[in-house]
Amino acid sequence: MTITDNFKDHILDSIAEGVFTVDRNFKIIFFNKAAEKITGYDRNEVLGKFCKHVFNSKLCYVDCPIALAIKSQKSIFDFESAILQKEGSIIPIKLNAAVLYNNTGDPNGGIISFRDLSEYESIKRKLEKSTQFHGIIGHSKQMHEIFQLIKDIKDSGAPVLIHGESGTGKEMIANAIQATSSRGDNPFIKVNCSVFSDNLLASELFGHVKGAFTDATKDRPGRFEIADKGTIFLDEVAEMPLQMQLQLLRVLQEGTFERVGESVTRKVNVRVIAATNIDIKKALEEGKFRDDLFYRLNVIPIEIPPLRERKDDIPPLVQHFINKFSILYQKEITDIEDRALDLLMENNWKGNVRELENVIEYAFVRSSSNIIEISKLPSTIRGNAKQSGSTYHEIVHDDPEKAKLLKLLEENHWNKTKVAEILGIGRTTLWRKLKSINLLYK
Amino acid sequence: MSEMLGNQYFMARKYADAELELEPVLMENSDNNSTKRKLIICYTQTGKIDKALNLFFELVTNDIDFITSADPVLDDCPCPELVSEIEKIEELNTDSFDYHVLFGMIWLYCDADKSLYYFKKANAIRSENTMIPKIVTKIYNYINKSKKGSLSQKDDLKKIRNESLMK
Repeated sequence: MTITDNFKDHILDSIAEGVFTVDRNFKIIFFNKAAEKITGYDRNEVLGKFCKHVFNSKLCYVDCPIALAIKSQKSIFDFESAILQKEGSIIPIKLNAAVLYNNTGDPNGGIISFRDLSEYESIKRKLEKSTQFHGIIGHSKQMHEIFQLIKDIKDSGAPVLIHGESGTGKEMIANAIQATSSRGDNPFIKVNCSVFSDNLLASELFGHVKGAFTDATKDRPGRFEIADKGTIFLDEVAEMPLQMQLQLLRVLQEGTFERVGESVTRKVNVRVIAATNIDIKKALEEGKFRDDLFYRLNVIPIEIPPLRERKDDIPPLVQHFINKFSILYQKEITDIEDRALDLLMENNWKGNVRELENVIEYAFVRSSSNIIEISKLPSTIRGNAKQSGSTYHEIVHDDPEKAKLLKLLEENHWNKTKVAEILGIGRTTLWRKLKSINLLYK
Repeated sequence: MSEMLGNQYFMARKYADAELELEPVLMENSDNNSTKRKLIICYTQTGKIDKALNLFFELVTNDIDFITSADPVLDDCPCPELVSEIEKIEELNTDSFDYHVLFGMIWLYCDADKSLYYFKKANAIRSENTMIPKIVTKIYNYINKSKKGSLSQKDDLKKIRNESLMK
């Protein structure tokens, strides 16, 4: 199916995330409905204007996310900032940024999607009760072990190294560590090490003095100084240049550093939580990640399993995202069709929880009934299922419980919601039961 | 090298970084007037007055309107803010050739009369510079043309008003 520009615009206007695009001069060329709602501007007021004149964010002058994406040659995710609304209020936002390239591969524009975090925070508070641990959904044994570990280390100031694939929720684990920690009321500063150039990262972490480089027009403290007595979260730490890794090692060992362009040694008391998604063993062997830094950071290692290894978590995650988007989109969608959930259970989830969330949001945007139907899932998910050729399999059994369950499923046309109701158990429990006796997929 | 990145640095007033990105862009396409216009400003802010003047001369000779039409909002032209910032710098030698050339270049983005004033002064200080008299002539002609333009515009308005009154 070819998607027309009108259809694309319709999709972009249907989502709750603000989206705008800029041309190579950073003039706004697209502005969706959610962006209008979040900023208070009508699109006709902003089209053709420089984005910095509309958003008035200090980020435009310091770390423009599109510029960071051009420099790092990769998209930026979950970047926190603040913008000035038309009526004058400053609101916190979380944004993703990507570069648009022309036919010759040169950057020719950029796209930013963003969410109003203040609205998000209120949704988060509403949903907090339904989550298991500080906003994290995790029914699986692996996740419960992580939650217990976080509780166990609440009084420790030791460094933590979180490892997990992209989209597994490393930042959420870091948030939970901070929330339960005795430093919980002190500053919590987050830095994504991969989005800054070498020079900029040094200045970002350790600060600089006026005149340290051409555009250093005044003294500026680094994130370590701002995080004093609190915690710093260094995301994608293994992307840090080797020279910077050495400087970080010194902060970890002695708590000391110097601002760029200054010889005065400063001392801070900062707990470091670092995260990475790379193959650490390989990075150590290739010399890309210093082993002394790794051992220093890896005092408390946390390994987040990929979603495909904890499929028990998929049904509650799906329900959580349904609840979240029903508030965000003001749509009364309350459930997901069994067959659709089965497909989600079967998927490999290379993008992990983030990918699952995006899939539910996509289905939400497309759904008009109060249940997410299989036809509303992205074609990639439906296609994967076809490729894997999975079908229900009746198993040869001699277990009376299995036989009873199978009979019940057949009588109810494999409607698992109904079967779960009849049995007086939750759908997740039923799914787990079916999985344990091989009544799901091969 | 990335023109888009250079544009962002320019927008963020990181002139040294913008210069590094935009110089190769201009080398690749010497007709890129938009990049020229930005680079002139970058050079004035990184102390490369000679380079700025060479590029300024090139642009003024070929298309003076491209500079004079720069708008602080629509084109994100930083000249008004630059003028007030430079005027605050105490250690500037206000009798020097560079000082007058610097102000002459920056003022042309906002006020051609003031630009002409500074270039005339620069010419008086260093009359052997061959570019300055040509720049002075160009600006002078531009001012005269603009004045005539605005006079004829006034005449046209008058004519239209008279015609409508006669009806």
